[in-house]
Amino acid sequence: MKKPKVAFFSLTSCEGCQFALLDLGEKFFDFLREVDLIDFSLIEEMPFPKGKVEIDVSFVEGLSIKKEEIDLLKKIREESKILVAVGNCAALGGIPEMKNYQGKERTIRYIYKKLNVENPEIKEIDNFVKVDFYIPGCPINGEEFLKYAKELIQGKIPEILQKPICSECPHQGKETCFLRKKEPCLGPITLAGCGAICPKNGQLCYGCRGILKNINPKGFLETLKKFKKPEEIEDNLEIFGIKDDLEKFLKS
Amino acid sequence: MKIAIPHIHKIEGEAGFWAKVTRTGKIEELKFQTLLGLRQIEGILIGRRYFEVPIVVSRICGICPVPHILGACTALENALNVKVSEQTVLLRKLLLAANIIYSHTLHLFFLSLPDFFNIENDLELLKKFKKESKAALRVRDLALEIAKIVGGRAVHPITPIVGGFTKFPEKEKLKEILEKIPQAIDDANLLIETFKKIEYPEFERETLFASVFNGKDYPYYLEKIVKIGEEKFTFSDFYSVQIEEDLKSPPVKRVKFKGKAYMLGAIARVKNNGEFLTKSSREKFEEFLKERKISEGEYFKNIFHNLFSQAIEVLHFLEVSQELLKEILKLPLKEEKPEIKFYSTSGLSALEAPRGTLFHYYEIDKDGRILNCNIITPTAQFLHNIEEDLKVLLPKILRLKRKEQIRKIRSLIRIYDPCISCATH
Repeated sequence: MKKPKVAFFSLTSCEGCQFALLDLGEKFFDFLREVDLIDFSLIEEMPFPKGKVEIDVSFVEGLSIKKEEIDLLKKIREESKILVAVGNCAALGGIPEMKNYQGKERTIRYIYKKLNVENPEIKEIDNFVKVDFYIPGCPINGEEFLKYAKELIQGKIPEILQKPICSECPHQGKETCFLRKKEPCLGPITLAGCGAICPKNGQLCYGCRGILKNINPKGFLETLKKFKKPEEIEDNLEIFGIKDDLEKFLKS
Repeated sequence: MKIAIPHIHKIEGEAGFWAKVTRTGKIEELKFQTLLGLRQIEGILIGRRYFEVPIVVSRICGICPVPHILGACTALENALNVKVSEQTVLLRKLLLAANIIYSHTLHLFFLSLPDFFNIENDLELLKKFKKESKAALRVRDLALEIAKIVGGRAVHPITPIVGGFTKFPEKEKLKEILEKIPQAIDDANLLIETFKKIEYPEFERETLFASVFNGKDYPYYLEKIVKIGEEKFTFSDFYSVQIEEDLKSPPVKRVKFKGKAYMLGAIARVKNNGEFLTKSSREKFEEFLKERKISEGEYFKNIFHNLFSQAIEVLHFLEVSQELLKEILKLPLKEEKPEIKFYSTSGLSALEAPRGTLFHYYEIDKDGRILNCNIITPTAQFLHNIEEDLKVLLPKILRLKRKEQIRKIRSLIRIYDPCISCATH
């Protein structure tokens, strides 16, 4: 049987999602042995072919901030049967999207006072091309990636179970629950799958995996407002780029 | 003649190379150009709350998040005069040592080694170097496990915060790690043998080496002195007076020391603090000099030895981790709540990231919000040095075939282990 053609691309980002994969060690290399690798610049030298390639699945990490990156993204779309947004930046704008809330004309002045630097609004990659599937998280969970990737290379679009972080959280229903302690944890409205890794390690959930599709977050936000100032809640929603998604949600 | 490598693979982040050389070897144009967009990490931090800073700066880089998190925490602690506990200091040192180990092993084995055997794909490397790749992966796995146990996660650790940790590791897990270290040390020794046998290209150029320094040990976490060449400066003098950020080539601010290029990272640390390496890693370093019949002076003129220096550091930091674990296990490891009082102030920190000295600077207001900040990464500091080395290399490879020329250029750039995500941020 012919091996499926797979490619990994990295746009502007920390590349942490690629490292989450490499950190799987042998397990990830075993996956790579099952596919025909067209491009993955961290581990091979082959330049991305200029002509037609017909990739079965392309995984794209990061954001297209430079014009060249938008062009590359469009070429990837043309060549790929399935295009997957990998991680919080590609899927939801990520940490860099905070720039939009802070005001891009203001943020750039702290770095380059006089010079002209490419400074677009941060937009998720699905603003430029059609995205077939989103793998959530900042960073992605390597094991979860493998689970979905195995379906994707068979041409199937996986379904992600819409369950909240709380369903995986060791603090659920206990005195140690952040919400019980009046801390604005976003666990109840955020998509599970990370094993509630932040609450488990003593940090609030800031929603890096995105908002659940099958709930109305309005009621939850009202509850939060009972013990936290609206500005503080907004600040938390801005960290991983979910504020704009939530606003869209509330309007629809 | 023009030489262009539009996209250099196997480095952290995206970058390319362009040069124009005459037939006689005169370089008319030469650029190692970063290709990533500017995320404006410093800009977006303005006005944000202090506790968001470690979360945000971690995302500067997926391969070295630890020094960014710790750089931010310690700069803010310096600003606000927060004293952290002994358990916090030891666990931070362990976490940073682990990051240096897993970053170095990735670079040594998967990014740079294939260059010496003309291997174009790491899957092929795994086939050809079965024993060595198993050893490299085992060392990496152990370092990643340390990061997971102490930090909660390797890529973007969760637990370190301003003032300490949100959660302290279970002793049982630390004991398990300690038991695995002897095997990792054997593996590191095997890697050193592999990198000892490699034929390093002949190359000669003198440069300045910078790192933190204390004259007592092999420092990497929070120091007050930076040594560059034979000169020593306080870290704040070095940061604010001695070095200069060139704002003319966005999106990267290239850094120079009094107008000159300098080098950081493993080779610089071995140069400045080599006498304080652990006994066995020092011995390995001396064995290398003896077998190659070269002096220390000659070793440091050849930038390709950055690779061997990283191999030495893997062993060194494994042994350091072993000692740290023993010390940590003697402590009760109690949960603690840092107490922080806010006032208008500023703070700077300097520590060693895998690729060299990293500076974080913050100004903060009385409500704990960031007023101003600046982050100077190792790669931004050594970009200029890469170009200076390429200027020496280029005239020597003019007669080679194009494919061979590109291979030589790529391999020199990769020896630096540049991190473009850090350089651009």
